[in-house]
Amino acid sequence: MSKIPVWFDADTGVDDATALLLANKLDEKLQIVGISCVAGNVPVEQVTENTLRICDLMKKQYPVFKGAGKPWFKEYHDACYFHGNNGIGDAVLPKESYEAGKEKAWDALHEAALRYEGQLEVIAVGPLTNIATAIVKYPDLNKLIKRVLIMGGAASGGNVTPAAEFNIYEDPHAAQTLFMSGIPVVMCGLEVTMQAYLTSEEIDEIHGHHSSVTDFYYACTRISHRASQRLGLPGLCVHDACPVLFAAYPELFKGEEAGVYVETQSELTLGKTVTDLYSDFQFPEKNTFIVTDIDREKFAKVMIETLTSYRD
Amino acid sequence: MEKRIPVLLDGDPGHDDAMAWVLAKACPFIEIKGITTVAGNQTIEKTTYNAMRVCTLLGIDAPIAKGRSMPLLCAPRTAGNIHGQSGLDGPSLPEPCMELSALSPVELMAKVLRESDEPVAIIPTGPMTNVAALLLAHPELKHKIRVISFMGGGIQSGNWTAAAEFNILVDPEAADTVLRSGIPLYMAGLDITERALIFPNDFEKIRSVGNEVARVVADWLEFFYKFHREIGYEGAPVHDPCAVVALIKPELITYEDMYVEVETKGQYCRGMTVGDRKGVLGKKPNVHVGMKINRDGFADLLLEAVKTFDSEGK
Repeated sequence: MSKIPVWFDADTGVDDATALLLANKLDEKLQIVGISCVAGNVPVEQVTENTLRICDLMKKQYPVFKGAGKPWFKEYHDACYFHGNNGIGDAVLPKESYEAGKEKAWDALHEAALRYEGQLEVIAVGPLTNIATAIVKYPDLNKLIKRVLIMGGAASGGNVTPAAEFNIYEDPHAAQTLFMSGIPVVMCGLEVTMQAYLTSEEIDEIHGHHSSVTDFYYACTRISHRASQRLGLPGLCVHDACPVLFAAYPELFKGEEAGVYVETQSELTLGKTVTDLYSDFQFPEKNTFIVTDIDREKFAKVMIETLTSYRD
Repeated sequence: MEKRIPVLLDGDPGHDDAMAWVLAKACPFIEIKGITTVAGNQTIEKTTYNAMRVCTLLGIDAPIAKGRSMPLLCAPRTAGNIHGQSGLDGPSLPEPCMELSALSPVELMAKVLRESDEPVAIIPTGPMTNVAALLLAHPELKHKIRVISFMGGGIQSGNWTAAAEFNILVDPEAADTVLRSGIPLYMAGLDITERALIFPNDFEKIRSVGNEVARVVADWLEFFYKFHREIGYEGAPVHDPCAVVALIKPELITYEDMYVEVETKGQYCRGMTVGDRKGVLGKKPNVHVGMKINRDGFADLLLEAVKTFDSEGK
């Protein structure tokens, strides 16, 4: 079976890093063709440095491109309280051995989309600024990208506000641009990502393998793991792993087609992914597959197997 | 016998409003002190005529005040697709046996509040235009309101739009006024009312009670179910009676205390009840939100209520 060519867009980020470690090892199914960086959890320069260093850690020098340094219209805010000052839980990685590409993220993404002739799938686990910029710059992009799998949004509720999830709230206008683009979206929102957690025991099991990858994983999850425990969560959510795993193993998930759009016109509900999933009202088009459930046990198994399969 | 709770019923009947009033009338510890009508499911002319017919059928002899023709600020909208042209299509009903009150809803509600020794419960089952107007015109009477138990909104979802439920969507500014009032609030939103399903076999149980009210209620349910069956419901979601249940049998509903704000703006979200379920805002809860309902208990309650009427209704 041929591999799915995958573009990875991230604001690396603790669980972005984990998602990348996962995507790299699911290489029976997925082939990473490029990575773009966006401001989100931490500023884009830091994101780019983190991403290059993680590629080095994986011993795969994927092409990395720097993208948007701020949302389209909103002010930029980081999430260092959760991800540490450097975005990867203040874990220290060796200085990168190579540089980011000279092209801008959206140009590189468009080139890759052309190269893969409609087969390219985009996994976007940060604010959607890069993707939206590519959409408005390249009118042919919506025909060239097979689908965009995102970590973001929620069918109901939110986490940074009562109505909005962080990635969408950070750049709601960009997100709305994606949902209106005609490109099919797979949305891994809070319903599913809050189920995608690893328990303390499972994190210890990963750490027990003592490779440079598992040491890094342990170090970079310390802050967010502690924050999760304070919030009374059953474990550490690996939000961003969901779209990666869905791309490779959709059978581990459940979900439903729905119409989804993003509120951009009011402060109270800014960044809400408005869906007809539960309402009598139905949007004329089902532009999104909303993922609602994951097989948590199998998810944990894949995560442990993958992260412990790295050897120094 | 317990002391009776004085109650004001405010609604836009409407099949489910009418059934809410059946529950209220049947309950021995509720005393209906006034009926106020609002534009919603149908125009104010129609909902008022329906209110008079329903009160005639049920033997409710409280004064009835006719509301204004539109919400506080925006243009009215109706739900003829669900309730029919009359706003209460289906079985024939007796012609009104009473005159309308000369008072406006705000005047009538204020009078009842002022004259009552006990604090009064208000049960709005339509857009909350009248209640908001009361709070704006008579802030000094707030303390006479025991509780406002309303049908409206939804934490998980809307129905009329993806984000908004009909009653709140019709008059978001009114709902916003009520939710900010500081008065104890019980919300019967879609989270419970879409699960308050009365199934076709329940219709027959109700019909077989044999009195006039039972026959009419069974016909209302059948009419109401017809629309909902076509969009995938397994029974009739009788929203409005849930707001009465909060007063007469609260143990059927599981409440969560939550900070809830009404969205009055937005491209998609106007009329949404934004519930801070996880407490991310750290604000003090202002609403007891019904999140689960005991469906079987609810169906039994409606059946038992219908049994309290005699062979001519009343």
